[in-house]
Amino acid sequence: MLHEITFNVNGEPYTVAVKSQHTLLDVLREKLGITSPKRGCENGECGACTVLLDGKPVNSCMVLAVEAAGHEIETVEGLARDGELHPLQKAFIEHNAVQCGFCTPGVLMSAKGLLDENPHPNVDEIKHALAGNLCRCTGYVRIVDAVLDVAGNGQ
Amino acid sequence: MRPFDYYQPESFDEAFKLLTMPDKVVMPLAGSTDLIPMVRDERWSPDIVVDIKELPGLRDIKPVAGGPGCGVCEGECLYVGAAVRMSEIARSPLVNRHWGVLAQAAGAVGHEQVRNRATLGGNMGTASPAGDTLSALLVLEAEVLIQGAGGERCIPVTKFFLGPRKTALRPGEIIVAVLLPPLPEGSAGSYERLSRRRGADLALVGVSALAVPYAGGYQWRLALCAVAPTPIRVPEAEAVLSAGHDAVSLEQAAQLALAASHPIDDVRATAAYRREMVVRLTRRALQHVVEQLEH
Repeated sequence: MLHEITFNVNGEPYTVAVKSQHTLLDVLREKLGITSPKRGCENGECGACTVLLDGKPVNSCMVLAVEAAGHEIETVEGLARDGELHPLQKAFIEHNAVQCGFCTPGVLMSAKGLLDENPHPNVDEIKHALAGNLCRCTGYVRIVDAVLDVAGNGQ
Repeated sequence: MRPFDYYQPESFDEAFKLLTMPDKVVMPLAGSTDLIPMVRDERWSPDIVVDIKELPGLRDIKPVAGGPGCGVCEGECLYVGAAVRMSEIARSPLVNRHWGVLAQAAGAVGHEQVRNRATLGGNMGTASPAGDTLSALLVLEAEVLIQGAGGERCIPVTKFFLGPRKTALRPGEIIVAVLLPPLPEGSAGSYERLSRRRGADLALVGVSALAVPYAGGYQWRLALCAVAPTPIRVPEAEAVLSAGHDAVSLEQAAQLALAASHPIDDVRATAAYRREMVVRLTRRALQHVVEQLEH
């Protein structure tokens, strides 16, 4: 079954035809060419596909695309403004919080979701917010340090 | 993913027509966090998926006077719609006012991304023995508000869970809300759970404990999940605790919780490990309640 849906991705309106069984992740990657959300476990375990839906982190592999109709989606592609990286992106570079990079877009969106709701989280709150994002390279210390840095700067 | 047709009905009548379509496998959808992985793994094969989360009243958290039709709740119940997200329940000041054990259990489900989609009604409808919110609903003695083509009914949550993934829902019926009966000031609750990975994964064991002021003392309620085919209350332990919650009673209650448990071996843990954890988590949950009572 086909559905014509309209939704916003990073502030831009898109109208696309999607099948009932298409996930938001399928449509972002395959139809819109927005490839920062990664296809990882497709089971809600790894968080590599995390995007913000109306400001809240969700696994885009576990949302039907048709459910996103009329909603606001944010991905890493929308983080930089006027050629200037987002403070979280800068902090991840400064802290070397990236190794292979596969998990990074999801981690950034979970961190943005947290900071938008709570601009000055402590270490425990950061760990809690990032618990749904697996990183098999960094050991998390640098990731938490990077988010803490932005939180301390008051963004 | 295997193709299916998706509908989002705007009225209950429209929903029931879809849910009772002859010769079709029809499944309701709310948070999609169970449905999508199950369809992807080809364990569920719906022809039609009916998105019920925008139906009137399914997203509300509100105090209500008495239960609509159920007659159980005297005074002010809390109505929690079936499609309310776990993260909303965990953060709700209304839920946290008296029914904090449910907020704790909702906050223990999965991780933030899952909690932002998963719903209370979905956790109940899926009826996994490991569902975090289920033991909390048992100690809160919640009522389940159900609607079907034949009308509305309300049943105690104790009669809702019949077995692993089996509920009292009849074909075409959906969960509309749970009603949480009022609790007196001074009640205290705690939910404790263990999983392989903190912040994700299903509970290996979950324990809800609640103490309610009663006749100069406390009436205790204790429920377990992931250790039997359904979430269970442990009346033997409750009787011991209600007679007095000293250290000896707490230990006795933990052993009675163990005696009531019949866990299985599965991919997450062995039955023997789960039995050991029942004792430890029950101790911990009871201790947390006692600390609140003494505070």
